[in-house]
Amino acid sequence: MAQWMEERLVTFLVEEQARSYRLAYSYLHNREEALDAVQTAVCRALEKQDSLQEPDAMRTWFYRILVNTCTDMLRRRKRVSFVPPEMLDAGSYEDPLPADGSLAERVDGLPPEIQTVVKLRFYEEMSLKEISAVTGWPLSTVKTRLYTGLKKLRIALESEEER
Amino acid sequence: MNGFKQAKEEFNSIPVPEELQDRVQSGIQEGKARRRKAVAARRWRRTACTTAACLALVIAGLNLNPTFAAAAADVPVLGGLFQVLTVRSFTDQDADRTVEVEQPGVTGGDMAEQVSAEIQKLVDEKIAEGEQIVADYKEAFFATGGTEEEWALHDNKVTVTYEIKSQTDTTVSFVVDSAVSIANAYQEQTYYNLDLASGRELTLADVLGEDWVSICNESIQAQIAEDPDQYFDASMGGFTTVDESTQFYLDEAGEPVVVFAPYTVAPGAMGTVEFTISK
Repeated sequence: MAQWMEERLVTFLVEEQARSYRLAYSYLHNREEALDAVQTAVCRALEKQDSLQEPDAMRTWFYRILVNTCTDMLRRRKRVSFVPPEMLDAGSYEDPLPADGSLAERVDGLPPEIQTVVKLRFYEEMSLKEISAVTGWPLSTVKTRLYTGLKKLRIALESEEER
Repeated sequence: MNGFKQAKEEFNSIPVPEELQDRVQSGIQEGKARRRKAVAARRWRRTACTTAACLALVIAGLNLNPTFAAAAADVPVLGGLFQVLTVRSFTDQDADRTVEVEQPGVTGGDMAEQVSAEIQKLVDEKIAEGEQIVADYKEAFFATGGTEEEWALHDNKVTVTYEIKSQTDTTVSFVVDSAVSIANAYQEQTYYNLDLASGRELTLADVLGEDWVSICNESIQAQIAEDPDQYFDASMGGFTTVDESTQFYLDEAGEPVVVFAPYTVAPGAMGTVEFTISK
C-alpha cells in the first residue's frame, strides 16, 4: 500500500476513535475491554492495510475489523466467565429480552449478530448494503436480522425503509 | 423511530476515556511495526537466499576452475601482479544489527602485506566501533523508555566496503567506506593511494609538488567562490586550508580529488564534498 494510503488510514482511525470506542463499549460494557478492543482493531487495521483494496471502502473495512474484534472478545469472555447459578435470573435461560430499561439497554441485550445490525443501522447510520459489507453477511441475512431485532425490541417497522 | 433517536443519543453520550488517544496511537505504532516486520522478513528471506546462492557459485567457481578464478581476480588487476581484491566478505545479522563487510586486500607489490595488514586493522576497528555505537544507542534507547517492539523497527547497520577510484600501471587509489546507520548515520571514509614504483603511499606533495598546499587552497577557494552559499563561510568553521591529514584520491584522469567529510566544510545536505585539483 502506498505511503499516502497509510497516512490516510491513520488520519481516519484518529478521527473515528471516539465513535469506535463507543461502538466497542456498546458491545463490551467495560471500559478496559473497550479500550483493548479499539487498540487491537487499530493495530490489526494497520498490520493488514494491504488487504484494503479500495480506499473509499475504508470505513466499512475498518468497522468489520472492529466488530469482529468485539465479537471475538465477547466469545472469549463467554468461555472463561463463570457465573454462579444463583446469579442467573430465570430470564437468562430464555431469549435475552429485558422488557424494561431504555431502548439502548435493550439493544445491548440482543444476540450479538442482531445487535451488530441494529447498531450499525441506527447508531452508525449505515445502509443495509454497507452493513452487509461490514459483516460479510448477504444482504438478505442483514435484512432478516434487522427485522428480527426490531421485532424483539417491539418496535413498529412501518417507518423503516431500506436505504 | 423516535425510540432510536433517543437510543442513539444515549449511545453518543457514552463517555470516552482520556486514555483512548494514547491507546489508538499505540495501536497505530504496533500495527505499523508488525506490518514492516512482515514485509522486511519477506525481503530478507529473498536476499538471504540469493546471497547464499551467489556465494556458493563463486566459491565453487574459484575452487574448480582456474580460468574463472583468474577472471574474478582480474577485475581490479593492476600492473601485472598487483591486485586489490576482496579478501573477506560477510554479512552477520542478529536482532540488534546487521554487519556487512567487503574488505579489500592488496597482493603483489612489496608493500602489499603492510597495507593489507593496515586495512585489516582498520576494518576490525570500524566493525568494533560500529558495534559499540549500536550497543550504546540500544542502551540509551531503552533507558529513555523505548520498547522492544520499537527497537525491532530499527534496521541498524554496520557496513565496511571499498571502492577503487582509479588504477593505472603505476598507481592505485581506493577508499574504504565504513558506516553505521541507526537513527542517524555515522560515516567515515579512509583513502589509500599507493605508488607501486616506490612501494609507498602517495601524498599530495608527490602529486602536486612542494607548493601543494597553496595549489590546493587556491583551487578550492576558487571552486567555493563559484557557489559560496553551498558552503560554510569562515565564521561557521568552513574551509581554511589543506594539510597532511587531508584525504584525497586520484581520479581516472590522474588528478587528485580532495575529499572533506560531511559537515566539515559544508552543511550535511551536501554530503561528502570533493574538489578536483587540476594540475
